[in-house]
Amino acid sequence: MAAKPKIAVYWTGGCGGCDVSFLELGVALLDVLAQIEIVFWPALVDTKRADVESFAPRSIAATLVNGTLRTEENVEMVHLLREKSQLVVAFGACAYQGGVPGLANLASREDILHRMSTNGFHPTPPPGGEREDAPPELLPQAKSLADEIAVDYVVPGCPPMPPLIGLLFDALLSGDLPAPSHVFAHDKALCEECPRTREDRVLSKVVRPHELIPDPKVCLLDQGMICMGPVIRGGCGAACPKAGMPCTGCVGPTPNAGDPGLAMISALGSLVRAGEEGPGAFAAEDKLLDALVDPLGTFYKYSLPAYVRTGRRSNR
Amino acid sequence: MAEAPFEPKIVAFLCRWCAGAGADLAGTSRIAYPSNAVPIRVNCSGRVEPEWVMEAFRSGADGVLIGGCHPGDCHYVSGNYKTRRRVYLLRKVLAEMGIEPERVRLEWVSATEGAKYARVMKEFVAELKKLGPLSLERKEKEPTAAPVLPRVGS
Repeated sequence: MAAKPKIAVYWTGGCGGCDVSFLELGVALLDVLAQIEIVFWPALVDTKRADVESFAPRSIAATLVNGTLRTEENVEMVHLLREKSQLVVAFGACAYQGGVPGLANLASREDILHRMSTNGFHPTPPPGGEREDAPPELLPQAKSLADEIAVDYVVPGCPPMPPLIGLLFDALLSGDLPAPSHVFAHDKALCEECPRTREDRVLSKVVRPHELIPDPKVCLLDQGMICMGPVIRGGCGAACPKAGMPCTGCVGPTPNAGDPGLAMISALGSLVRAGEEGPGAFAAEDKLLDALVDPLGTFYKYSLPAYVRTGRRSNR
Repeated sequence: MAEAPFEPKIVAFLCRWCAGAGADLAGTSRIAYPSNAVPIRVNCSGRVEPEWVMEAFRSGADGVLIGGCHPGDCHYVSGNYKTRRRVYLLRKVLAEMGIEPERVRLEWVSATEGAKYARVMKEFVAELKKLGPLSLERKEKEPTAAPVLPRVGS
């Protein structure tokens, strides 16, 4: 019997949700575990950085990295894992495009450290000298994995959904690997697999999810919810829209949409109606769009580091 | 040697039916106006994607002018209305990014308004000179792998 492929899973600036998401495979997880050898997975097995350093180059078949890159230690670790691995997979929205922690790029590093230290967190070693356990330095900005190392594949989602994780393991274990840079999700928009029906094709109001119990059959955009479905990849099974929540874009944009925020601006510009179009409706249209609170955070909830180069400087 | 004064770079997306013809008229009428803009003629201002505006900024533009037909005059009935809403939303997003929203300007210029085109260009150049050059913080390093994110048009 051939040796089982060696798999590593690592977390950087993440919440742990991606590590837990493997459990969602259910009994299929037992099949997967029987066919792989886990050589490094801080959330699961007691292995240390020194163990990884002792591995031969490219001896790990695939390393799955989740989390945004936020500290110098994150960067060192992913370079180390890249050297030791044949394949590196960006696992989850943070590793793919920066994720929710990437929204911190709207504040400068100095602002973040100030906010943390006024909450009792001291990022620098205490007086009395350097300590080995001092926290690693914070990077100026959060980064996606591909900003630092070559990424072979992407499993998107926050956290990745079981069908998408299944696609990854099917490919890894069968050896039938897709082309480099493949994203394990659909290329078509989420709307294609959403069971809701579009009727009006206009956006005549903007409501937030807590303000409305939506009709279960009608398109959420038609009902005034800012759903990212038109620009976001399918593959998740439209879990959120089915549950009455608008898509917030965790699977990332379709290849054709490109920048999800700019694509949404384009889409909403076409959809918004406040009465008959014309100069008489301009003020009402603007007011309608003003109800969209924090458009930047809404459009780039999972992808700010990948798309937005902020011009904002420190407020301090 | 004294540093050359800042001359803002402008990309002007002009619709072929109104603003583009207006810009032409400004030229054939020999109206003097600043030569800071690179005009790009499009069929309709409604064709201007927000992506193009950002691409102009990423490519070094300090301001982007979008010229369309006056309300009611759009050759395609409602293209300029869509543009107006997109620009309104785009400017809000730019402000959140830390980019001055005034760097994107939408103007209605008819085919007979060569003088207005010249005035808009003078005003816009003056405003951008006040704002100064746009500095987008570039990524420190481009991805080393084949790009994970295929971009439109690449």
